[in-house]
Amino acid sequence: MTELQYIGKPARRVDALEKVMGKAKYIADRKLPGMLHARCLRSEAPHALIKKLDVTPALAVPGVRAVITSEDFFEHSLFGFPVKDEYVLAYRKVRYVGEAIAAVAADTPEAALAGVQAIVCELEPLPGVFDMEHALDPDAAQVGPDRPDDQHPNFLDLLIVRQADPLAEIEQCAVKLDERYSVGPQEHAYIEPEGALAVPTREGGVLVYAPNQSPFVNYGVLAMVLDLPHNLVRVIQPPVGGSFGGKDDQIYQMSAQVAKLALLTGKPVRLVYSREESLISSYKRDPMHIRIRLGADSDGTLRAVKFEGLMDSGAYASESTFTAWRGSIHAMGAYRYNACAVDIKCVYTNNGYYGAFRGFGNTEVCAGIEQAIDELACAVGMDPLDFRLKNCLHVGDRTAHGQILTESVGLPDCIKTVRRLSDWDRKRAAYANQTGNIRRGIGVAALYHGTSLGAEGADYAGSTIAVEQNYSIDLTSGLTDYGTGSRTVFTLIAAEELGVSPDRIHMQRPDTDTAIESGPTVASRSTMLGGNAARVAADNLRQTLDYAAADLLGCELHQLVRSGEAYVGPDEEPVAWERVVDHAREMGLALSAHGKWTAPRIEWDHHHGTGTPYMAYHFASQVAEVEVDMRTGVVQVVNFWAVHDPGKVIFPQGAYGQVYGGVAQGLGYALMEQITYTNGYLQETNFESYLIPTSVDVPEITAQFVEAPFSKGPYGAKNIAEPSMVPAAPAILNAIYHATGKRVRDLPANLERVLLGHDLAKGGSAKACKLGLKT
Amino acid sequence: MARFDYVRAHSIAEALQLLGEAGLISRPLAGGTDVMVFVRNEKPPFDRLVDISRVPEMKIIERRGDEVFIGAAVTFTEAEQNALLREVAGCLAEACRSVGGPAVRNAGTLGGNVANAAACADSLPALACLDAVAHVRSLTGERSFLLNELIQGANRTAIRPGELLTHFTFPVPPAGVRSAFLKLGRRNAQAISRLSMAAAGRLDAAGRVDYARLAPGAAMPRPQRFTEVEALLLGQAPTDELLAAAGAKTAEVMIGVTGRRWSTEYKEIAIQAMAEQTLRRVLCQ
Repeated sequence: MTELQYIGKPARRVDALEKVMGKAKYIADRKLPGMLHARCLRSEAPHALIKKLDVTPALAVPGVRAVITSEDFFEHSLFGFPVKDEYVLAYRKVRYVGEAIAAVAADTPEAALAGVQAIVCELEPLPGVFDMEHALDPDAAQVGPDRPDDQHPNFLDLLIVRQADPLAEIEQCAVKLDERYSVGPQEHAYIEPEGALAVPTREGGVLVYAPNQSPFVNYGVLAMVLDLPHNLVRVIQPPVGGSFGGKDDQIYQMSAQVAKLALLTGKPVRLVYSREESLISSYKRDPMHIRIRLGADSDGTLRAVKFEGLMDSGAYASESTFTAWRGSIHAMGAYRYNACAVDIKCVYTNNGYYGAFRGFGNTEVCAGIEQAIDELACAVGMDPLDFRLKNCLHVGDRTAHGQILTESVGLPDCIKTVRRLSDWDRKRAAYANQTGNIRRGIGVAALYHGTSLGAEGADYAGSTIAVEQNYSIDLTSGLTDYGTGSRTVFTLIAAEELGVSPDRIHMQRPDTDTAIESGPTVASRSTMLGGNAARVAADNLRQTLDYAAADLLGCELHQLVRSGEAYVGPDEEPVAWERVVDHAREMGLALSAHGKWTAPRIEWDHHHGTGTPYMAYHFASQVAEVEVDMRTGVVQVVNFWAVHDPGKVIFPQGAYGQVYGGVAQGLGYALMEQITYTNGYLQETNFESYLIPTSVDVPEITAQFVEAPFSKGPYGAKNIAEPSMVPAAPAILNAIYHATGKRVRDLPANLERVLLGHDLAKGGSAKACKLGLKT
Repeated sequence: MARFDYVRAHSIAEALQLLGEAGLISRPLAGGTDVMVFVRNEKPPFDRLVDISRVPEMKIIERRGDEVFIGAAVTFTEAEQNALLREVAGCLAEACRSVGGPAVRNAGTLGGNVANAAACADSLPALACLDAVAHVRSLTGERSFLLNELIQGANRTAIRPGELLTHFTFPVPPAGVRSAFLKLGRRNAQAISRLSMAAAGRLDAAGRVDYARLAPGAAMPRPQRFTEVEALLLGQAPTDELLAAAGAKTAEVMIGVTGRRWSTEYKEIAIQAMAEQTLRRVLCQ
């Protein structure tokens, strides 16, 4: 390959200036003439029948223009993917505190609130399910929808992986482990709360601006629940102030609410959540209870694993069946086994609801398995880093799913590099026998993370590219950039393919009228899928320009070379790129192109738990160094090293940024981010009680990349966004153990758990939720 | 959003006139870091806020004879950067530096922190440790309180409607006395204290404790010095054993007041460490 000009070189984020200068217009910044303000009536009960719902008193409130309920939508507003069990506005029942029941549009936010308070809504409380361990008890209240089979209605799904008989194998092992772990829910805590703005169109349709994860998914949901033909629905993506998986179904629900209100009133309607409304009504990362059994030979050869997980999906399925699937695939960690069984069961409860969040199941299972591996290494008497190096996946290995890894496995190099960077061996020995009140510890975790959707579904993306009149280039993608840097990645890829400066390229945000449907923006798939689509589109355009250049220079295609942007033919006189564009136009060539890229077909057998779950994997190893106050339980993460194999790095600052942000989010998950539902009522309804790390809680992070290229990724790239977060929590927990000699197997490792070995229950109430819903 | 009126006072006299005005309920507004959060969620128990944050007489920090005078509208940032406080009241400067983040410290005031009277307020143990007196004025006169008289419980004070907390005074500690403050939260900034601790102390020529003050925060409904712990220290050499005994006594006194609550299992251990560490800083370094 010739030397790359833009890929892997320093670059400026395409949206850096508008963001640092405060010019980016988020939903809350967008105001239109005559715009109405929407507000939802929300359930104050965790589980109840809607006995009476009369909105007429609200319509009498001055300033109120329209009020809607589930009756105003197709099929009572039923939606959801892959499980259709949720409503845009509750129908007959509410299943969690904060669930939207009716929506009001009014001239002012105050009138909208007055309208909400005027609605007559009688809820008849039902017994709730608040403990996932009892969700499937025969007498547990029914939260989930009716089922056609004889399973409990609160059973949502069971995901399995199967290879041989692990319990029999463990029996024969010299060293065994059988431990239980748990992880709690986590809030996305994006800086921008959820919002949506709908504008009715002249044709009787609706245009929606919303900070979507996936504008085309929103577009599909809108057409369905509004019962509109697709050509009357349009979704435009504004800048997004963070998502982390959180701006998926909740945003589509809000979009449908404002869209219906806009259609009814003929006016633009905007809905923006307060922070309390966001925390109370939006979905969170699922909590999971985990039991892990492991077996190894006395020489440290890992032989078998049995992983059992129970996952709370809350009131609705949201993405839980997919989350649980990704969790099941990664539950055994990035190691070779003779035998493996994974069972992850998800159930319905009335504890809010749980959906997608960075890492998507892997964050949860990794916290368990990477502690268990550490404990087993300890039991064998081996250094935990050596133990991982001895058992980890290499090129040519067969995974527990039966997949042979033929390329791009950077894990051994990641582990060796992080060992060197962190001065692992010296510190591990130095911290071995401390006696003081302040003790240091160092811990490691290893990771693999499947790229893109894998066998979850059809995996493709599209891009368009066109040369504009002023010689700039318009590039689109159906995938959105909610902070990951993907617009910059696509820009650099297109610039590299075309041989033009990235400054020429205007990477548009998705608009469903002009971009190509590309599936959801999830699963850290943008670089690989969207990047490949941008590469193909740009390559198609380049072929046209090359053809025009050869015609202009009177030579064969193979005689063309490039000098910067300019084309050079056999006479060695450079011809400006603009001149080639002009010539192409004179030839009547179309200077626009499409690109579509579809991932290679892979198969997963859900019934037998075997197959090829993902086409490639990201690998990483992270090391945390902590200081623990043995008498107060205070943990400081004092150093952190993260070595990742994302394949070829396209946009280095973006990749480093993902690692720093991921580690910070993982640190919060490990130590302080705690969500408590007391009888279905969230206790942490704002950021004074839901704590995320501040700048003085996050240490200096050293990131480095091991670039093991993947042949099908654009320029060899894989992914980085989610995997940067996943191993941080277990690395920190393993470091705490190294410092204290005591395991904290439940997340977050708060002051009480570190000091006492268990959490203390404060007891909660419905007060914060009830206040928050009126704020 | 709650609706209420706002007016700015330019002097204490004007503030008292405004606060005492008949026909409407007025409350003082300083930095707003508590009151503005409160009215976000709850109906305000007042019709008007009287902004006293820029009253010049309430912004003063100075030595007056054997006393230190601090205006109630002094912000945490102003307090923690003040040379006099750093010199004679290190525990108070450190407590102010531990509050919230820069934005909260730039707005929030010492007077507001005390008048709001949250059990976890960071300035309370430091002011208690310094034997600070709070001065309250109204149109009819002035009243003075020790901190544990002014504060009657969580979010309850002896300040009456129409009264204004104008300033604090505390005696300049004897020469050679050092003081310190420690805070324990769930993160390193913008954290509500789980526990805090202010201590002051001095050793005599023979290396024995001849001055001792200890006041925990976020442990009791009202701020107070733990005189039992102070008595245990006086006349003794600050050995590890003595400090450990002081820590144990601190936990015992706390539980004696609060009884055993949901958090006691944790705080009983942590407060011993906090007391020991704070005393070690003032007596042993």
